[in-house]
Amino acid sequence: MTLRTFKKGVHPHDHKTRTASLPVEDVPIPELLRIPVAQHLGKPAVPVKQRGDEVMPGELLCDADGFVSARVHSPVHGKIKKIVQQPLPAGRMSDHIEIAVNVEETQAHQWQRREVDLDALDRDTVVEGIRDAGIVGMGGATFPTHVKFSPPPTAEIDTLVINGVECEPYLTCDHRLMLERTAELLEAVRILNRGFGFKRILFGIESNKPDAIEAVSRAAAEFPDTPIEIVPLKVKYPQGAEKMLIYAACGRTVPAGKLPLEIGVIVANVFTLVAIEDWFFWGKPLIDRVITVSGDGIKSARNLRAPIGTPFEDLVEACGGFNGDVAKVLVGGPMMGVALPTLDYSLTKGSSGLLFLTRAEVPAESPCIRCARCVDACPMNLMPLKLAAYAEAQKFVEAKQHNLNDCFECGSCAYVCPSKIKLVAWIRYAKNYVRVHKL
Amino acid sequence: MSARAEGFILTSSPHDSAADTTQRIMFAVVITLLPAMVMSVFYFGLRVLGLYVLAIASCLVTESLTRRARGRSPWSIADGSAVVTAVLLVMVLPPEISPIALVVGCVVAIFLGKEVFGGLGSNVFNPALVGRAFLSAAYPVQITTWTTPNRVFAFLPQGIDAQTQATPLAAARFEGIYEALPNLLFGQIGGSIGETGSIFIVAGGIAMLALRLIRWEMVVSLLGTVFVLTGIAHLVDPGSFVGPVFHLFAGGLMLGAVYMATDMVTTPYTRVGNVIFGVGAGTLVVIIRLFGGYPEGVMFAILLMNAVTPIINRYTDNRVFGAQSAKAGEGAQ
Repeated sequence: MTLRTFKKGVHPHDHKTRTASLPVEDVPIPELLRIPVAQHLGKPAVPVKQRGDEVMPGELLCDADGFVSARVHSPVHGKIKKIVQQPLPAGRMSDHIEIAVNVEETQAHQWQRREVDLDALDRDTVVEGIRDAGIVGMGGATFPTHVKFSPPPTAEIDTLVINGVECEPYLTCDHRLMLERTAELLEAVRILNRGFGFKRILFGIESNKPDAIEAVSRAAAEFPDTPIEIVPLKVKYPQGAEKMLIYAACGRTVPAGKLPLEIGVIVANVFTLVAIEDWFFWGKPLIDRVITVSGDGIKSARNLRAPIGTPFEDLVEACGGFNGDVAKVLVGGPMMGVALPTLDYSLTKGSSGLLFLTRAEVPAESPCIRCARCVDACPMNLMPLKLAAYAEAQKFVEAKQHNLNDCFECGSCAYVCPSKIKLVAWIRYAKNYVRVHKL
Repeated sequence: MSARAEGFILTSSPHDSAADTTQRIMFAVVITLLPAMVMSVFYFGLRVLGLYVLAIASCLVTESLTRRARGRSPWSIADGSAVVTAVLLVMVLPPEISPIALVVGCVVAIFLGKEVFGGLGSNVFNPALVGRAFLSAAYPVQITTWTTPNRVFAFLPQGIDAQTQATPLAAARFEGIYEALPNLLFGQIGGSIGETGSIFIVAGGIAMLALRLIRWEMVVSLLGTVFVLTGIAHLVDPGSFVGPVFHLFAGGLMLGAVYMATDMVTTPYTRVGNVIFGVGAGTLVVIIRLFGGYPEGVMFAILLMNAVTPIINRYTDNRVFGAQSAKAGEGAQ
C-alpha cells in the first residue's frame, strides 16, 4: 500500500493512544449552558429569543446574519436566563445566551428518525438543509458549511475530499466518529453526492488509524454507486490543512490566495458530515459535538459528547478533575490551539479538544542560527525566518511581499526551531498589523 | 476554579516543540568530528590533543569576555558554538603551529569572526576560517610548514612526504609527484591536523547527513563541481593536471565541504541557494588549485562564498505553495 502525502511538514509526538480506544461518552446534562452567538467565521448570529423565553432542543436561538453566518440552536429544554458578554476561547468578545437547563425534560427528549427521499434532493435543498442546521466546519476553522457548498455558478466542482486526517496531536474525536458513526458518515456522503454529482469522493485518513480505514472501506463498499475512494495517507502534520489534504489526496494544488473551489474541490470534515446526517435523517441541528479532553493534567482523559455551550468546568468534572499541577489549558490541539487564562469558557462548535498540560515550561529563546529548518518544514513553502525577522524589524510591507498572508499558522516552523523562536507569534503579529493598517 | 494560584500559562501556539536545541546541534557536530580528531592525535602526537584543549579554552574565554563587554550574559558560551569553532580551527592548522599563534587565531576567530557581527547567528563569515585566514597572513611560515605523520597504518604504502615534507597538493602542483590514494583516504600524508584522513571526515559527514545536521545538496554540489571541473582539466591536459579523484581527497576539500560549507549560519537557506553556493565554492576551489598562486583554495573559496550568501538568500526564496498555478489561473481569467 503506497501512502500519499503532501510535501514538507513535521512529525510531532501524537499523544493519541490515551483516548484513541475510548468510545464517545455523553457528558451529564449541564444545569447551565452559555451559548455564544459568534462561534463561526463571519458575522455573529442574531438572537431571536429573549430573556425569559422557554426553549426546546433544536429550537432556533439565533438566526444567521447574512450569507456568511450560521444559525445557532438550543441543545436543551430550558429557559433563557440572560444574555451576557464574555470572551470566546480565541479572545474575541461575544454575546452568550445563558440557558437554565431543565435536565429531566432534556433527558427525556428523543429525536425521531424521519424518512428521507434521496431522489427528491437537489443541490439547493441540500445546501438549504446545511444552512438550516447551522453547520460549520468542525475541524476548527468553523467556516459556515453552506457557504463552502455554494460555489459560484462558473466553478465546476468535481471532487469532494473528506477530511478524516485529524493530524493535531492528542485529538481523537474524529477518529472515534469514523469508527462509531461510519454508517451515518456514508449517508451524509450520499446526500452531498445527490446535490453535487461528484466525479470522485476521496476519503483521506492517516495510516495511524487502520481501524478507521477498515471501517470506512467496509461501509463504503455497500454503496457501489457512490464513487468513493479511501485514501490512506502517510502520517504527517499538518495534513489536515485543506490545501495540504487536497494535494495529498488528489495531487491538485490550490493556487496561492485562492479557495479549493478554483480547482473544483470541496473539503468536508468527518464531523461536518455527521452533522449533515443528523439534520437530514433526524431533524437535529448542530447542537452538540464530541471533544477530546486529554493531557497529563486531567485525571481520566475522555472523548466526550457535550451540548454546545457546556461550561468547560463541567467537562473537567466529567473527567474526574485535575491531576497534579495544571500549567497550561488549551482549546484545540497543541499545534494550533489557544491557551486559556481561566476555565470560564464554554464549548463551541469549533472546539475539538480541551487539553490540560502539566509540563508547560516555556523554552528559552536563543539567537537564530539560520539552520533553515523552518524553511524545510513550512508546508506553504514560505520563509518563516525571514517573515519573523521582518515582523521584529517592523518591516510589514516587506513581510507582506514575502507572502505573509499565505501562512495559515500551522506551527510547523516554530515546532522545529532549535532556537525556540516564536516564529508563529511574530508572523501573527505582522498579519494583524497588515490587516488593521490595510497595508 | 484555577489549578494554580498564578493562573495558567498563556503563550502563543504552537505549544509543543521538537527536542533539538542549538546546544544539541553544536555538540552533535563535535561528536561527529571525534573520529577525525582521534586520528589526528594518532598521526601527529599528543601535542595535538593539547592544541585542541588550548583552542577550546581560548575560544570560550574570548567569547565569554566579549559577551560580558557587550552587556550580554557570558553564559551563552554553553551553546557550544565556540567549541565547534575551536575544533575546526585546530583541524585546518599545521601540526607544528605554535601555541601563541593558535591563541591569536582563536581570539580572531571568535572576536572578529563572530562577536563583532553580533554573536552567534549574525556573523557573515565562517569564524574558524576567519581565524585561519588571519594566521596565514600573520604567520606565513608556520602555516605552511608541514610535518610527516606517524605511520599508524603500516599496511599502507610509504607516503611521499618522508622525502618532500610537502602536502600532496603542493607536491602534485609544484613537483609533479602524486600521492597514492590509500594514503589520501587514511591521512598518512602531510597536511593540516584534521584534514588529512578524508575517510574519517566522510564518516562524520554521513553521520551528520543521517542526523539531518547538514544538507546533501551542499556537499554533493561542491564535491561534484570540483570533480567535474578537475576531470575536464585532466582530460584536456593529463600531463599538467592530476585526476579528479585525487582532488576530492587531497587537501582540505573534504573537511571544507562537510564541515565548513555546511555551517548553518554562513550558508544559504534554501536547497537552491545551497547548490549555488556549492557550485560557486567548487569552481573557486578548482580555479585556485589549478591556476592560482596557492596549491590549496578551499578556505578562500568558502570565505568568498560566505560573502555572497546574503545576496544568494535574497534571490533564492522558495516559491510559495500554489504560486505557479496562481499565475496560470490569472492568465485564464
